[in-house]
Amino acid sequence: MSKLQRRTFLQAAAAAALGAGSPIVSALAANDSATIGWPNDVPSWDPNQRFTPDAQPLFKAVFDQPLDQDPQLKLIPHLIKNWTLAPDAMSMAVELRDDVTFHNGDKMTTDDFRYTFFERIKSGVKLDTANSWKKVEDIVVESPTKATMKFNSPAPTAPQWMAFLGSFVVPKKYIEGQGLDNFLKKPIGTGPYKLAEYELNSRIVLERYDNYWGPKPKIARVTIEIIKDPSARVAAIQSGQVDCTVNIPVREVDRLGKESGFAAEINPITRVILLQVRADLAFADENVRLAAHHAIDKAALSKAFYGGAAVPLSVLATPGTPGYLPDFSFKYDPSLAKDLLAKSKFGPANPVKIGFATTNGQFPSDYDIARAIVQMWKKVGIEADLQVIEYAKYFELNRAAKLPEATLYSWDNATGDPEIFSGYQLNPKMPFSPWKDQDIGNRVLALFGVADYNKRIAGYRDLERYAVQNGATMPLLQSVVTVVRKRNLKYTKYGNGWLLPQTLQWS
Amino acid sequence: MIATVAKLIAFRLLAAVPILLAVSALLFCALRLLPVDPAAMSLPPTATIAEIDAQRHAMGLDRPLPEQYLIWLDAALHGNFGRSIALHSQAGSLVAATLPVTIELALAAMVIAGILGFGGGLLLFHLRGTVLETVADLGSILLLSIPEFLWGLILLFVFGVVLDLLPFTGQISPNLPLPDITGFLLIDSLLAGRPDVFFSALEHLILPAFALGLAFSPTIMRVLRSSLFDVYHEDYIQQARLRGVSERRILLRHALKNAVLPTLTLAGVQFGILFSGTLLIEVIYSYPGMGNLMVDAVRNADLPLIQAIGLTYCIVVLLINTLVDSLYVVLNPKLRTQ
Repeated sequence: MSKLQRRTFLQAAAAAALGAGSPIVSALAANDSATIGWPNDVPSWDPNQRFTPDAQPLFKAVFDQPLDQDPQLKLIPHLIKNWTLAPDAMSMAVELRDDVTFHNGDKMTTDDFRYTFFERIKSGVKLDTANSWKKVEDIVVESPTKATMKFNSPAPTAPQWMAFLGSFVVPKKYIEGQGLDNFLKKPIGTGPYKLAEYELNSRIVLERYDNYWGPKPKIARVTIEIIKDPSARVAAIQSGQVDCTVNIPVREVDRLGKESGFAAEINPITRVILLQVRADLAFADENVRLAAHHAIDKAALSKAFYGGAAVPLSVLATPGTPGYLPDFSFKYDPSLAKDLLAKSKFGPANPVKIGFATTNGQFPSDYDIARAIVQMWKKVGIEADLQVIEYAKYFELNRAAKLPEATLYSWDNATGDPEIFSGYQLNPKMPFSPWKDQDIGNRVLALFGVADYNKRIAGYRDLERYAVQNGATMPLLQSVVTVVRKRNLKYTKYGNGWLLPQTLQWS
Repeated sequence: MIATVAKLIAFRLLAAVPILLAVSALLFCALRLLPVDPAAMSLPPTATIAEIDAQRHAMGLDRPLPEQYLIWLDAALHGNFGRSIALHSQAGSLVAATLPVTIELALAAMVIAGILGFGGGLLLFHLRGTVLETVADLGSILLLSIPEFLWGLILLFVFGVVLDLLPFTGQISPNLPLPDITGFLLIDSLLAGRPDVFFSALEHLILPAFALGLAFSPTIMRVLRSSLFDVYHEDYIQQARLRGVSERRILLRHALKNAVLPTLTLAGVQFGILFSGTLLIEVIYSYPGMGNLMVDAVRNADLPLIQAIGLTYCIVVLLINTLVDSLYVVLNPKLRTQ
């Protein structure tokens, strides 16, 4: 913050009158601090508790994951130095670093690793990680740095999950000694920043952890201002109250990008906007499902709502990830959609009626995208009854089979692994999609047990093509994240959209 | 007078008990009728039907509604409002942490509304019969027609962005520490001997408090003016004039004292509305109060938290009304003898 602003001057004058220290001094010394305008608070400071993709960068500042991803999303060592997945994927041997300490000075060992990925889950604490690590039968501790995870069924994506949602090592001794409630009030991890202050729904103050085992963050103090309203985030960056912000409307990115002093970006990420579909009701008819898909002009949606930056997708994977099929295209063809509907005796004069659910405000332009799709469908002979659902109720509705034929949804997969894209979306035993057809379901379930990486990826590539050709899913767009920052504040861009406080630096 | 006020407060507090019971029962039943399942929502998405049933049983949700209410009431009377589904903390602790922030904001807004309302009301009355009366009247109607969230956005844009005079995110500047003694930041900063924090907190309070106060002030203005009109038709005003008392003295010593009573009653009633106005204002200004918490709770269908916040709103409004009624007794000699 090199510019001396009018407000800073007024603050200085008033503070001087009050006999306080001059904020000018702190303003000029502020190249060792940065403020980020962030849209959401953490759900709680237990990083294993709830899977919240937007909170992942905040957790990654305070806690460490066993494995990490580089900016191109390649899996890299982190707390785990070496790992070996058994050929049958029934066990994984890991070797931890021996120079890692928690923020209270305690050494991180395999006891903490075992506690995080086995003991806590088995103790009955309601954690989202209970699902991702449900296959863990035991973790055999061989030394403070060596352990072997034993699985009750093949776990070929265990390494990927070590770098995914919720997989953060927490301190066994501290939690057991202080109790969970005290841990939530004063959490400690092994991450590059200590949590210095936390005010619910307002701000998170991070201070550099000087004994961090890895590269030290360049900025000593990072303040996360929780600003939920997108317009307020725009105003905050524009007025200099924050140095960087994310997830602001695309049109504002264009505008701010033209102002001097700001850098504004629209970054495609590993998040897919899709239509989840049911295999029954009016969508029991494959012709109707395929017609619904062919009738959607994805490029027009991208242009209208994401300034053309969101890549139209034909499969449930984003470009650059292992499951992506660059040569496969599911074309926009309203004539073909009409022909398919005609085969089932539907058309504009005799439309097929379906239900269509969407959230409103869960991800950028969700409701508007749904309304546009309703209009596109109407032209070919599909009459959709659009209903808005609360995201909090999604799983309950799905569990009770109360979601309609189509649901607009956004699916995040920071790992980029196809299991967590199509594997989860098409697995009838999982609660992440209303598709419950056994034909595709059996193909998915078989892939969950394939230990060989190349065979597994090839299997998912086949599955993705098959699922789209059968109308089991309708991928729409690759989601984007918008970032606006002061031009001299640099950060490392990750393919999954992470903006990590530890990568920030002033130039 | 003290005995009368004390009697009134005691009576009001006693009357508050059945009101609170009724409100809590109504709130409890209304929330239970919502098509959401707190048991399912408190578990990970992958929970099985059997796990959800077990959780429902553990939470007592499979019991008859009156029994559920009595269990909840018993726990609430012991200070346990349940655990927030979304935030995984005690709902009571979350409310306790955020309530002082909202009270501080609402009181600041009330002070602003009072100053603007009384000042504006006197001005409107002063301009009666002049050519400027219509202009002033239209001005007050304009103020009245702008809701607080719109004021919030207008003030943010003008004073925060265009003029860059005041901060509009959070409660304090990022580089300052947050003292936590009573939860009231202005008081805490002084107790901690940090004038810089006090100044920063005050600076951050100005825009949200003005947004709320501006929306609330026209009601006070118009009621005060109309009360003054009524009072000026009373015989004692005419008699004062005949005695040669100056117009200024008539207004300030005789008329205003009586005209302020209905205004005060209205202010008490309106405080509840002002308090609920903090919901949107706190979100716009990222103010970490109970309103902000309530918006999240509603979005997440976090029933225990909604219930705790709803009941707290009710208690605050009842207390404010009791306070206003007590003031009414202090200011109105007639009521002291009844």
